[in-house]
Amino acid sequence: MAPKIYPEDARRRSMVLLPIAAVLLLLSAVVQWQLDPVRKKIQPSGTAYMSGLNNEFLLLPLLGFREAAAGLLWVRADEFFHSGDYDAILPLVRLITWLDPHSDNVYTTGAWHLSYNFTDSSERSDRRYIPPALKLLDEGIDNNPNIPDIKFEKGWELYDKIKNFHESISAYQRAVATPITPLSDDPHYGAPLRVWHALAHAYEKAGRIPEAIGWWQQCLDRSNKTIAANKQDDFAQHEMHEAEIRNLKETEQRYRDRYKKTGHSSVNPTPYPAILAPPKGSAVPAPWVCSFHPRVEIVRPKVFKVSGRLTVADGARVDVQIADEDYKPHDVAGTLNAFNVDPTQTICVDALSVRKTRFEREIDMSRDPKMYSFTRPYYRVVLSYNTRTTSPFLQDRFGWNGEGITDVKEHVWLDPDRAKLGTRLTDAEGTGGFGPVWDGSDVKFTALGQPPRLIRVVYRVSRDDILNGRTLTDKDIVSN
Amino acid sequence: MVPLAIARQTVREAMRRRVMWIFLIIGVFLIALGPVFGFLNPRESTVVLKSLGLAAILLAGLFITIVTCIYLIPVEIERRTIYTVLSKPVQRYEFVLGKFLGGFTTVFINVAAMGAVFVAMMWFQTHKSSEVTLIFQGVLMTFFQLLLLAALTVFFSTFATPVVNFFLSFGIFLVGNLPSVTDSLTTSRLAVTRIAGLAIYYLLPHFGNFNMQNKIIHPESEITNTNMFMIQNVEYALIYSAVLLTLGIVIFDRREV
Repeated sequence: MAPKIYPEDARRRSMVLLPIAAVLLLLSAVVQWQLDPVRKKIQPSGTAYMSGLNNEFLLLPLLGFREAAAGLLWVRADEFFHSGDYDAILPLVRLITWLDPHSDNVYTTGAWHLSYNFTDSSERSDRRYIPPALKLLDEGIDNNPNIPDIKFEKGWELYDKIKNFHESISAYQRAVATPITPLSDDPHYGAPLRVWHALAHAYEKAGRIPEAIGWWQQCLDRSNKTIAANKQDDFAQHEMHEAEIRNLKETEQRYRDRYKKTGHSSVNPTPYPAILAPPKGSAVPAPWVCSFHPRVEIVRPKVFKVSGRLTVADGARVDVQIADEDYKPHDVAGTLNAFNVDPTQTICVDALSVRKTRFEREIDMSRDPKMYSFTRPYYRVVLSYNTRTTSPFLQDRFGWNGEGITDVKEHVWLDPDRAKLGTRLTDAEGTGGFGPVWDGSDVKFTALGQPPRLIRVVYRVSRDDILNGRTLTDKDIVSN
Repeated sequence: MVPLAIARQTVREAMRRRVMWIFLIIGVFLIALGPVFGFLNPRESTVVLKSLGLAAILLAGLFITIVTCIYLIPVEIERRTIYTVLSKPVQRYEFVLGKFLGGFTTVFINVAAMGAVFVAMMWFQTHKSSEVTLIFQGVLMTFFQLLLLAALTVFFSTFATPVVNFFLSFGIFLVGNLPSVTDSLTTSRLAVTRIAGLAIYYLLPHFGNFNMQNKIIHPESEITNTNMFMIQNVEYALIYSAVLLTLGIVIFDRREV
């Protein structure tokens, strides 16, 4: 076959054009190299999300419209939620956050769904879902450092669901420290005022009263500035402002009533700090003896009857936790990305109301074998009364950290976790605290010293006993 | 200017084709469908509205570009009208350039029409000029993405049949939209895969570069310098299109028609 002969001008042109094309191609690679850092930032790498997508949703990510696919999947998740198909939502949340890692609403709603909506037949939360919820929030925070909402949600989860007020403070502090961006709700602050309020509440719950008071003062200062700058009357802003004034006054008054000898309100008519007020019929100042007498029976296989006496006023709640002996609460490190929970893990948490010093409830764990598998050889049944989570009117006698409570059977337990220390208070000397003290005059004081005093009893029980039934005795009590 | 005269004629011809109007109508219809998601909370409905609108413009624009450009040169050869054109003082490179200019002007008209509808709807829904600016940026990037696709399709049309061209262009568009996947090949443990990955990553056109939807849908996920990012993307589109057109001209120069 004879070689093709091309026109001379075409040959000449190609001699010039081909090197030009090569140079331009090289130049395009250089531009691409310059674009790569931003491209990688806004488009997460990996292919994991592709495998879980139905055909109907596959085309959009293939065309580069991951967010459109995520939006449509979120619509589908909403449909599942309203039809009560909660399990179906989890893979969708996973896919959506992979497709669109900046969808903050999916992180917060997904974590709420995990923590609150999976329950046993008695509406007790499946707490195995809490670590995946926390991990999802952590992932959301990493992907969206400029959005305070996900950090706030983590703080709320730790405050309300887990009741770890110390970690809740850390999460809220991160939310407060969110940098100001052009899209911040308030042009002068990275986080909205409600996050500041939540932080003040968390300080109080953690027994860190000077910081709570100091933070309420800062909230008040911020509100005053905002109200002065706002010409329009904002009802919500004024409501928040009213709350700040009330909470600041209330916390200061509670401090005086509970820990000081003077400046009392009608809540504490005695000349003593409320935590040391003389009990009824006595003239000698002393802590309240709560007489905790619990009784735990296994009445049928996997059915616990928890009852007993706790000599405190109505409104107190006894917390019950039945869990594997080796249960590590909220172990995020061991959590998988896919929201899978350990089917062999057993953890049940409940709270029993105290009425006329008595409490009683049958906790039937036999009806939910998928949630309570009881596959381990030993379990711990923990009964506790936590003064940090109890009602304020009870704290008016016991203090924020339980300084004014004791027990005839020595069930008082000082949490050794130094992270949970509250403020040590001058007038609460001798109540178990250590570290520097606060006399109430300097609200900027931040050092910690007072551990929470809990009433707490821990039983160790075998799987055989749980399956065969038995009444637990003092011999089954193990150290905290 | 010969290429401009050819471009004018190409636009006239392309705009007469019914299939293109169908794609345009579908695109506008999909954009108009956005407010249906108003039952979601306000933030979510805006996210869906924006992402669906941009997706609709790209989808309709994608088909308009491919359907317009795959026929630009083969039809002229098939109908033998190319002989009439080339018998005049028209160089082959002028013919290719004219066809490309005509093709991408057609795409521009269509994308601009859909973009105008989308911007108007966003304004109607949100009454925020910032949102409109973001949408404008998104539509602009989509246009340059389609410009690159038009150049690719014209390049293939210098030597491939329309059917082959359709699959080649569409396939490369899909691969070019998955930079995260091709990127992961460059870190493979196998040397062969790594080299192949690098070649694919840097030699194939990066259509995924132009996807600024995440930034547009979630403005809080900031790009450090949006203007620089957009300028670099425009640079990339122009340079790579120039590469494709140059190669297209070289091939068409040597082709027997």
